[in-house]
Amino acid sequence: MAGKHGWKCLAVGLLSLIAVPLAQAAAPAEKVIRIGAMYPMTGRPGLYGMDSVAAAEMAIDEINAKGVAGGYKIDAIFTDSKAKPAYAVRVANRYIAEDKVHFLFGVVSSGVGLAVTEVSKQNKVIFIGTDHAATELTVDNFQPYYFRVSNDTFQSMAAGALYLKEMAKTKPWKKIAYIGPDYSYGHAQWDELRYNLDRFGVPFEVVGEYWPKLSDPDYSAYITSIIKDKPDVLVAGFWGGDTVAFIKQAKAYGMFDKLTYFHPDAGGNYELMSAMGDELPLGLILSARHHNNWPVTERNKKFVEEFKKRTGRYPTYAAEGAYAGIYAIAQAVEKVGNPDDADALVKAMEGMKLNLPEDPEGFVSIIDPGTHQIMQVQAIGTTIANADFPPAKVMLGNWSVYQPADIFVPAEYIAAKRKK
Amino acid sequence: MGRSDMKSLCNGNMLGWGALILAFALVPVLMTSQYQLNVACNVLIWALFATSFNMLWGVTGMLSFGQALYYGVGGYAIGLTVTYLGSQWYFAAFAAGLLFTLVLSFLLGLLVIRVGGVYYTMLTLAFGQLAWQIMFKLYDFTGGDDGLQGITLPGLLANKVYYYYFVMILVLLAVWVLKRMAYSPFGLILRGVRQNPNRVRFLGRRVRRNQLRVYIVASLFATVAGALMAGVDGSVHTDMFFWTTSGEVILMSVLGGISHFFGPFCGAVVIILIEDIVGAHTEYWSLLIGSIIMVMVIGFPRGLVGGALDVAAKVRATLQGAKHDDTTLTAGLGK
Repeated sequence: MAGKHGWKCLAVGLLSLIAVPLAQAAAPAEKVIRIGAMYPMTGRPGLYGMDSVAAAEMAIDEINAKGVAGGYKIDAIFTDSKAKPAYAVRVANRYIAEDKVHFLFGVVSSGVGLAVTEVSKQNKVIFIGTDHAATELTVDNFQPYYFRVSNDTFQSMAAGALYLKEMAKTKPWKKIAYIGPDYSYGHAQWDELRYNLDRFGVPFEVVGEYWPKLSDPDYSAYITSIIKDKPDVLVAGFWGGDTVAFIKQAKAYGMFDKLTYFHPDAGGNYELMSAMGDELPLGLILSARHHNNWPVTERNKKFVEEFKKRTGRYPTYAAEGAYAGIYAIAQAVEKVGNPDDADALVKAMEGMKLNLPEDPEGFVSIIDPGTHQIMQVQAIGTTIANADFPPAKVMLGNWSVYQPADIFVPAEYIAAKRKK
Repeated sequence: MGRSDMKSLCNGNMLGWGALILAFALVPVLMTSQYQLNVACNVLIWALFATSFNMLWGVTGMLSFGQALYYGVGGYAIGLTVTYLGSQWYFAAFAAGLLFTLVLSFLLGLLVIRVGGVYYTMLTLAFGQLAWQIMFKLYDFTGGDDGLQGITLPGLLANKVYYYYFVMILVLLAVWVLKRMAYSPFGLILRGVRQNPNRVRFLGRRVRRNQLRVYIVASLFATVAGALMAGVDGSVHTDMFFWTTSGEVILMSVLGGISHFFGPFCGAVVIILIEDIVGAHTEYWSLLIGSIIMVMVIGFPRGLVGGALDVAAKVRATLQGAKHDDTTLTAGLGK
């Protein structure tokens, strides 16, 4: 009878549930630092993921060529997180239970980062965040096994507030407006910018807030509203393809002749320069977590050129975060002598100094022991003609550089957030 | 059907349920890592979600694209209550989620069942997306797209093995109830509604009332699935409400076969395993699922279970040299 066969089919499916993972279990290799990385490899954030993977592999090859103390080699597994928190949690659990990783690694979306940090906390496995920028991870939701090796939105916005303060001396402004994607990342940037403007005593008047949805294909209604509201400064909180789409559409309306465009967290990503070529308007004030043409140091030049050699393209800022993360792991294991003692590795990473491509001469990045957030300089520039990094025809220049001591999350802010 | 046939069917059913319970009950004993428990939890919960969804689609012919709404309600009932009031309110949250779904599905059901076919599908999609947008916008309350983390479970449920058995018992119980329902007189009316609503009316049965009933039932079980999932991951996200979540259960049902009660269950098992095993090795896992679905739709339009039964019947016919008996398949809902 067909009913019985239905049961048989179900039984076969269930047996495979047990048998396949059993067959998959493999003995871990000797003297290996195992890293379980999660990046989006497909869809709109796919480029961030692909650049991160390429840079992480580049760092692994460099380190393995020299060798880590104690004869360890680094081995990383990369999985597409699909930018979905629930799926990433499953992957993280698999990494810990099946692959016995010593470190969780990566993640572009803050929502995914917040979900994975919970897995890291429960299992006491260190999670190195390389790209996501939500300040909550190191402040509100801080847990000892989480470290971030790229600047967060608070640092970008604090640097942004200082830039606007200085700019007021040469180019007086008062009216400010904000446009950003309508989700936590967009809202956090605006909250943190206003907090920092108040903190640095910068007077401002908000004339408009605009919240298009993420990946909105048409910004024309927002652009006409912005032009009508006449802000002196328009702060933008987009990332990726949204920045490109918005700037292309706003240019058609002549918006950039009427106001100062200011985009201090992700606006200066090389993705924008390569996508827009000579269409990118000059004089926009932008920043990102890493720049291909700043600082002009041998370390940064080598990083950018090596990346170009491996992939055939120049890196977006996500790449340097992943590169830094691998070096942080290698340095921590070097200090502790093995990758198995998570608590010792945490101690080794607290206050760790890292010499990274984005560090200017005479400065080294340092991991803050209180928040496990890396402290780095933030450079904000304006768009100028520069064809040294094709297909970009415009790059950032006229840099203003902010030291971590001036832009780091203040203790009272941390205390207030953690009290909640 | 003669008495001996009935007896044989009952024995077959008992054997099937026994094998099902045993297979899942053995997972904590045979597992080589905690992760397998996590995968098994995912399989069970998605299987329940897909099976409850198929009561609407496969049984009643109502293709809902908005069941993620009720799945999300379950997840957020637990997530919000535990976050704001503490884990001691877990069971109260479970009950509150079900009560909320009961009221919501009754009210929405009254609206959506007024239209049929693609209009019904679009309305369910619209309500689902509306709920997603509300949860997404209420940043301060729901955490927006960051979701809610650190959902702890009370007492013994905090132990992963105990929680697994809790999930297993609830899911299997729910599937058993749904199966009983699918083959009850109520289930027969639902199939009648799918095949010919006018005939159901001529028989003196109310089509809309039965559609509303099954909509509420399916929504309640989707809420149970969502509530259970909150405990597996320790976090909930607005993705739970998003249309792609509804799309996933549709995919599971198509893959397993909507004309068989256990089709969506099997589809869930296969999709979760493919996602897990193939996803571990390549980012092109979705290409594989896409290809499998394409092959299934062209080669086995009645899904994995339907296809497997066809193959089994052909093999049997070849071995016995007799024509194969396809009575159950033509009935539209094999056991």
